[in-house]
Amino acid sequence: MTLVEAGAADWFDVKGTTPKGKQARRLKDGTIGMIVGGAMLGILLLMGILVPLLSPYESDQSVDMPFMPPSSTFLFGSDGLGRDVFLRVFSSVYLDLGVAFLGVIIPFTLGTIIGIGLAMSRSKKLNAVVGSVIDGINAFPLLVLAIALIAILGPGLQSVVIALSLTNWARYARLSRTRAQVVKQQGYIEAAQTLGYSKPRILFKHLVPNVSSETTAYGLSDLILVILLIASLSFLGLGAQPPTPEWGAMISDGRPTLQMAWWPVVFPGLALCWAGVALSFIAEGVTRRERDVKS
Amino acid sequence: MMFGFEKGTTQVSLSMPPADVTDIAADSTQAGPRPQPIWERILRRTGRAVIVAFWVMVVAFMLIRLAPGDPVSAALGGEASPETVAALRTQLGLDVDPITQFWKYLWAFTQGDLGSSLLSGVPVTEMLKTNLPVTLWLIAITVTMTMIVSIPLAVFIALVRIPALPYVFRTLTAIGLALPSFLVALLLLYQFGLIWGIAPIFGYEPGFPANLHYLWLPALVNCVVLVPVLSRVLYSSILDTLDEEFVETGVIRGVKSYRFFWFYVLRPSLAPTVVLLSYMMGVMVGSTVILESIFALPGIGRELVTAVSMRDYPVVQGIILVFGVLVVFLSLLGDIVASLLDPRVKLT
Repeated sequence: MTLVEAGAADWFDVKGTTPKGKQARRLKDGTIGMIVGGAMLGILLLMGILVPLLSPYESDQSVDMPFMPPSSTFLFGSDGLGRDVFLRVFSSVYLDLGVAFLGVIIPFTLGTIIGIGLAMSRSKKLNAVVGSVIDGINAFPLLVLAIALIAILGPGLQSVVIALSLTNWARYARLSRTRAQVVKQQGYIEAAQTLGYSKPRILFKHLVPNVSSETTAYGLSDLILVILLIASLSFLGLGAQPPTPEWGAMISDGRPTLQMAWWPVVFPGLALCWAGVALSFIAEGVTRRERDVKS
Repeated sequence: MMFGFEKGTTQVSLSMPPADVTDIAADSTQAGPRPQPIWERILRRTGRAVIVAFWVMVVAFMLIRLAPGDPVSAALGGEASPETVAALRTQLGLDVDPITQFWKYLWAFTQGDLGSSLLSGVPVTEMLKTNLPVTLWLIAITVTMTMIVSIPLAVFIALVRIPALPYVFRTLTAIGLALPSFLVALLLLYQFGLIWGIAPIFGYEPGFPANLHYLWLPALVNCVVLVPVLSRVLYSSILDTLDEEFVETGVIRGVKSYRFFWFYVLRPSLAPTVVLLSYMMGVMVGSTVILESIFALPGIGRELVTAVSMRDYPVVQGIILVFGVLVVFLSLLGDIVASLLDPRVKLT
């Protein structure tokens, strides 16, 4: 059991929770999770568009007295600068999710290319060296590496994305290399070769889709971790800088006055959990479906 | 049906002659070629960990140098004169080519020298002497608390078999994984520290029983994430183990119940959990950075955040190296414990 696979797959791997041989039921489980998760995510994305659009205020505009508790005019109350927490929480949706998406899609692409390249190359030396670098990078906790890189790049969301791209690819590279080595030896690849298909065609029509189906499932669960990572970095003051509305930065903002006013901390936190749980349900559904298709 | 099997054990014992039973038991414990002696496998796994640790050093070294941007001008700020920049460059040994730099770095490492802080001039190893124990204690207490809660929980759920429980469990895991640890930490600190006053808000005392007072709450935060994930994996692995033929053999041979439970069911089931725990601890080591900042614990995580905001990059390099080596060590430890618990676990 490799560690990455243990971490990625076993979270969603509940052998025996459902009786064996009841395929239909397992498929249904996955579907329910995906519907619930999708609905939760949809609501969040919709609010992310509607709230900033319909609100008469700006997200960094002072609209009320500081620290007003939640009321019917300002549902989530106001923060230390009198800004509307409700508006700020939903103004952050696309920033938080967008940066996280970038922070997953870039490493995903890079890692898949490198991983498949390694599995395809015949050079043992290249495989050994790059493989070791991959192991070396994967040994570090992602947050620690990202923090270290931000030391050089300087704080900011742009640095967060660069830091993620420089480090997180290794996890995808490892996963897709292992997968590509298995796929490479499958009968359908041999069949395609026998039929005389061109190398690019085999690569893009047969190899890549089969490798990426697995990495996509991992990528979804990784998206949750990356969302939390970005919020954590902003919380530490290394990601989004004030007055940018971002959940982690908002929680960090409200932290010193938590005793007096809980709402500037709890509502962004709830939004963060909401996004995480939604994606968690979707990821679990996708993983279970993946398993069903394969088995 | 003391253990709530789905298969009828009595049926199995009637249809299976005793000779076959021993064969099957031998088969399932020694699948494939004869395993190497345990010490040889452990040695091999340790050797691999040492190689990975070397690459961890390489990555820690390259990271600072390959990243876009110049650490020296970043440390000094925009207004520094070219002379100051050049002087600092020489002081840090950045004026020679990277290969020479790397050998110097390795040589210094074997001498127990990880460089010194740019600001205070204190050697990084000195900082580690005071800071590292805090982080290690936090990890140790987290592991202990997680195991104390997860094992009985998973065993209980596996044996009781309430139909709705797996779904509750799955939902809890999904939520647990999505919870930001810094938020959980803040809210628990608020509730336990400020409202109930049963946990200190800041401060730390070194030494074992004294530090427990300061570390139990941060460890509890980690447990919120770890307990659902681990007990879920342990639960499914107990169910898997109950399907194994050696469990049937044990039942047939009438092994006494506590022996049966420990040697036949729990011990092999714990192996995957231990491997996952060591992996999760690797992730948790990252979150200690945040927890130490929130709980004001003087560990290496908080030191890292301070060093990053000060752009004190020899300290950053030293601390991330320690973090990397710590994770390599944790996964080595997890694999060794797993293979001692279940000899079938392959040490790669």
